[in-house]
Amino acid sequence: MEEKLGLPYAAAPVTPRRRRLPKRWYAHVILITAIIITGFPVYYAVVVATQSNTQVFNYQLTPSTYLERNWDLVIHERQLPRYMLNSVIVALVMTTGKAVLSLLAGMAFVFFRIPGKWLIFGFVLITLMMPTEVMAIALFRLVGVELQWGGYDAMIVPFIASATGSFLFRQHFASIPGELSEAAQIDGANPLQFLWYVLIPISWNAIAALFVIQFLYAWNQYLWPLMVIHETTLKPVQLGLRSLRSGTETGDSFGPLMLGAVLASIPPLVVFLALQKQFMSGFALTRDK
Amino acid sequence: MRKTFLVLTLLLLAGLTLLTPVQAQGCSADAPCEIDALIGFTDHRLDWAVERAVEFGEMFPQYVVNIESFSDYEPLLDSYILSQEQGNPPEIMQLFEVGTQFAIDSGYFKPASDIIAGRDEVLGQPVDFDDIIPVVSSYYTIGGDWSSVAWNTSTPILYANLNILGEAGIMDLPMTWQAVEAACEQLQPMVDAGSIAGCIVWPNHGWFYEQWLAQQNTELVNNGNGREGRPTQVLLSSEASLNIVQWHKDMYEKGYYAYSGKQRDWSGAVQAFNSQQLPFIMTSSASAGGIMRNAAENGVEVGTSNMVYDEEVGWTGNILGGATMWITDGLEPEIEEGAMAFLLFFSNTENSASWHQTSGYVPVRNSSVALLEEQGWYEENPNFLTASIQLGESQVTIATQGAIFGTFVETRNIITQAIEDAMLTGGDVAEIMAAAEEEANVLLEEYNLLYVDE
Amino acid sequence: MYLVSPPILLLLVALVGGSWSAWRARAQGAAPAVRQRAQLLALLGAVSAAAGALVLLAPLNFCPFELDGDGNANRLNVMLGVFILLGGAFLAHRVVSSLVGRWLRGEALPGATETRTGLFSGPGSTLLALLCLAPTLTILTLFLYYPMFDTFQLSTQLARLGAPRTRFVCMRNFNQLLGDPDYGRTVLISFFLAAFIVMFSLAFSLLIAQMAYRPITGGRFYRALLVWPYALSPVIAGIIFELLFHNTAGVLNHVLDSTFGFKVPWLLDPTIAPWTVVVASTWNILGFCILFYIAGLQNVPNDLLEAAAIDGASAIQRFFRITFPLLSPITFFLVVTTTTYAFFDTYGLIDFLTAGGPVESTTTMMYEVFEVGVVARNLGSAAARSLLLFGIVIGVTILQFRFSRGRVMYGS
Repeated sequence: MEEKLGLPYAAAPVTPRRRRLPKRWYAHVILITAIIITGFPVYYAVVVATQSNTQVFNYQLTPSTYLERNWDLVIHERQLPRYMLNSVIVALVMTTGKAVLSLLAGMAFVFFRIPGKWLIFGFVLITLMMPTEVMAIALFRLVGVELQWGGYDAMIVPFIASATGSFLFRQHFASIPGELSEAAQIDGANPLQFLWYVLIPISWNAIAALFVIQFLYAWNQYLWPLMVIHETTLKPVQLGLRSLRSGTETGDSFGPLMLGAVLASIPPLVVFLALQKQFMSGFALTRDK
Repeated sequence: MRKTFLVLTLLLLAGLTLLTPVQAQGCSADAPCEIDALIGFTDHRLDWAVERAVEFGEMFPQYVVNIESFSDYEPLLDSYILSQEQGNPPEIMQLFEVGTQFAIDSGYFKPASDIIAGRDEVLGQPVDFDDIIPVVSSYYTIGGDWSSVAWNTSTPILYANLNILGEAGIMDLPMTWQAVEAACEQLQPMVDAGSIAGCIVWPNHGWFYEQWLAQQNTELVNNGNGREGRPTQVLLSSEASLNIVQWHKDMYEKGYYAYSGKQRDWSGAVQAFNSQQLPFIMTSSASAGGIMRNAAENGVEVGTSNMVYDEEVGWTGNILGGATMWITDGLEPEIEEGAMAFLLFFSNTENSASWHQTSGYVPVRNSSVALLEEQGWYEENPNFLTASIQLGESQVTIATQGAIFGTFVETRNIITQAIEDAMLTGGDVAEIMAAAEEEANVLLEEYNLLYVDE
Repeated sequence: MYLVSPPILLLLVALVGGSWSAWRARAQGAAPAVRQRAQLLALLGAVSAAAGALVLLAPLNFCPFELDGDGNANRLNVMLGVFILLGGAFLAHRVVSSLVGRWLRGEALPGATETRTGLFSGPGSTLLALLCLAPTLTILTLFLYYPMFDTFQLSTQLARLGAPRTRFVCMRNFNQLLGDPDYGRTVLISFFLAAFIVMFSLAFSLLIAQMAYRPITGGRFYRALLVWPYALSPVIAGIIFELLFHNTAGVLNHVLDSTFGFKVPWLLDPTIAPWTVVVASTWNILGFCILFYIAGLQNVPNDLLEAAAIDGASAIQRFFRITFPLLSPITFFLVVTTTTYAFFDTYGLIDFLTAGGPVESTTTMMYEVFEVGVVARNLGSAAARSLLLFGIVIGVTILQFRFSRGRVMYGS
């Protein structure tokens, strides 16, 4: 075995890596199959977005001419842009708020002496194990019934603190050498200046990682708005999609619904694709960490 | 990047402030009062309601009626209750018939009779509740008082695709369970050949069960179906009850009943019929408008008949279905007047007639029926008469008046679930219904503990 | 009247807690100092166990141990009562004895010593730090801890949303669930879905990542096209898969029917529908897993693999002996995340795809909480279900941590 392997290594000048591995036709086959399987549902959704119901029921696999009609329904009659705007506002405010609060908390945890710090940190960390969804009913009693919130406030405020974020920044800051904060203090910077001029500039990757995760989280929220948002004009897009869904006995339902689903997927896709690199390095997972 | 970040945050905060609604003082054409109305339709019936709201706004520029739509009555009710608890309820809600007792118990609504307070018009919109057809007034009035304003009333009927039946050589529309089975047997070769997907469909929904119970003159709850006093028992193990579920199960097991796998799948059933996958659908008369329009567009001939009944037991009558409009308690007097005026306009003679023509809901006013007859509507559209005949010919008994109790909404869901269990799990019908009965009784007992004064 | 009166119960718990502490302390030797310490520990153990039990049972007025009008005790109630009693005692005992133990052994309390240099220490710095933490702590207390507490409180009530009154019903909401085969089925379904979603998404994503991470023609293209479905929401996954699997309009059945001559009742058959949910969920989360696995695989040192190859290890051996163990932190992270996804985030997907049906075959615990709490408005029962779900998820997470301990390599 060893001799067999050894010979070509010595003989060939190219990188050993390339030669050692066999032709990877099977890899291409698997990858292409995977792409077709993962891609087809979305391709079909896009196609159906251009069809009438009769065409859907006839399993037509190519685009048709009903896009304009579906577009008209989705955009003008069913207010999808309004729902998307709501989602964008909620997602951006919630994400920004989370980033700010988490940065502050992370800084407090790392760069300050606080009595009982471990207790406070534990208090925050334990909430990682407490999914809001489980407490949705009780949360509604507080936010809806007691506080009488029913708009952006209800969608944003309860979620604006993040144990994930606090933890992420704490870890990130802990890896920063103490000399940095010493130097800042010698230069006479107060903690907030230190945060603004030193910590944030070296934390963009972590911020981007948090941004992606929380943006998707906020954008995907469904159960909570379903309970707490009852004004059509305030509904986020996942809820808005419900109004495109069946219920219509006569009109076309699949086309508009798919068009809505496709449109509602664009913002998170853009965010995700734009920040993918930072996202990965924010988690310190890529090679060049 | 840092600056953009800051600017973005500031912009967002500014945007948030701007988007916060400003409370208006008094109602005027310049600053009209908003009246939100929740409606359980998302199709042409929604469009009709929106058109009426716009007309009302033109007549009364001091009001704007916003119609908010829901895919079904259940989520509408859920949403209303949640928003009530949040202290920001809409002014008007459409509530299905089974929610009546709950609505009264909840204290959320102001009875229509109290708002009208004996007047014969509100903001110039005439009040004439004597004009309401008897089957509706007997269901919704309690002690002669109206809690809500009658609007959409329906009953299930059978629709048939005559083109498909013609191919199979079926000439008469079935009127009984037995006749449906015979027709399905005759259609089976077409199903086997793949030219149709099944024989008959109706949404799996407790409403149909309740109808069949009434047809067999059997009550759903004790104490005179809840009309002689608060009921304490739900009766799901009666002979008539088991008969219904057994037939449902048999139809499914023979492959005649095409189940979509989803409960309360109204739109799925109609879409299957409209796309000519099945020759028969049994659904609300309220689908007549959509079905006939679709039939005309696609060159299909559609016939209608009564909701099929068990020949061996006979037919006593059907219960009405549908919903009425309720006005939230505690509104500003000016808004309350506007809401009531809108509902009176919404259900006046002309609008009830046009609503019937659009949807297929039974016209709730005698004057509307007269108007439609005058226009020759029924001669041209005989399928729109089927529902009225079915309700008109029903005998009035305790069973056909329909049950009234606080957990009707939940009980209906339990029944729907039980029927699905019977069909799909192959379990014993009597056992399934006994378990469902127990579940429904626990709910009723709990409800009475929390709502009913001892 | 009680089956066992509360003071006696507490005494019993104190006795157990005290002797447990004493036994553990004794095991450390018989020196006088140790003995003295053991006495102190035993006392503290007894007090803390009794206090823990009291904190949980006092608000309930010890109702699980109450006798009914006929002088009978409800067996399920008593069992739940004992569970709460022991649970409270155990937790309090554990916390107190570990802290006191540290203190007695002269060790520092966790976090008491700062090893970091360069801490801000000017006047008012502690205040500033607390101010920085205040928003986070306030929000978490108000919107996580308080609802948690309220859920406990609600779970002992008969309460309906909007009803004029509530009634204290002790353990009844739990009793109803424990005796209900439907609830057992819901729990099983949740576990079934979670198990297969985790298994499939991890297995397929690792396979695909293994193919895609190396320099391969069009690698960048492949990677870009494989990862993005992660950005689609569960609701949208539900919408799209409902279209694909639809009973009459579904294109998948059409293809199956025209090529193989059969159809699969994807959404109609209670034994198949859960698999449909598994497929849709796996599709939804696959991209996320691929993303992390590719990153992880790129970190596996090449020289190690090459050395193994030179030593004659086959590709499969190399994968299982080197790659997979090195990936274990990522695998662990993904197991935890996909489990959370399966338990909670599938709500939207299920709501659109199957609405929990047919025959409740896809009704997960999370789905049921909403159905019971909002649709049926039974707040008490929903709260009880929430707590059980919460307990189960905590249990699963702890098990995962336990299992991973010693098996997960965190690299150098």
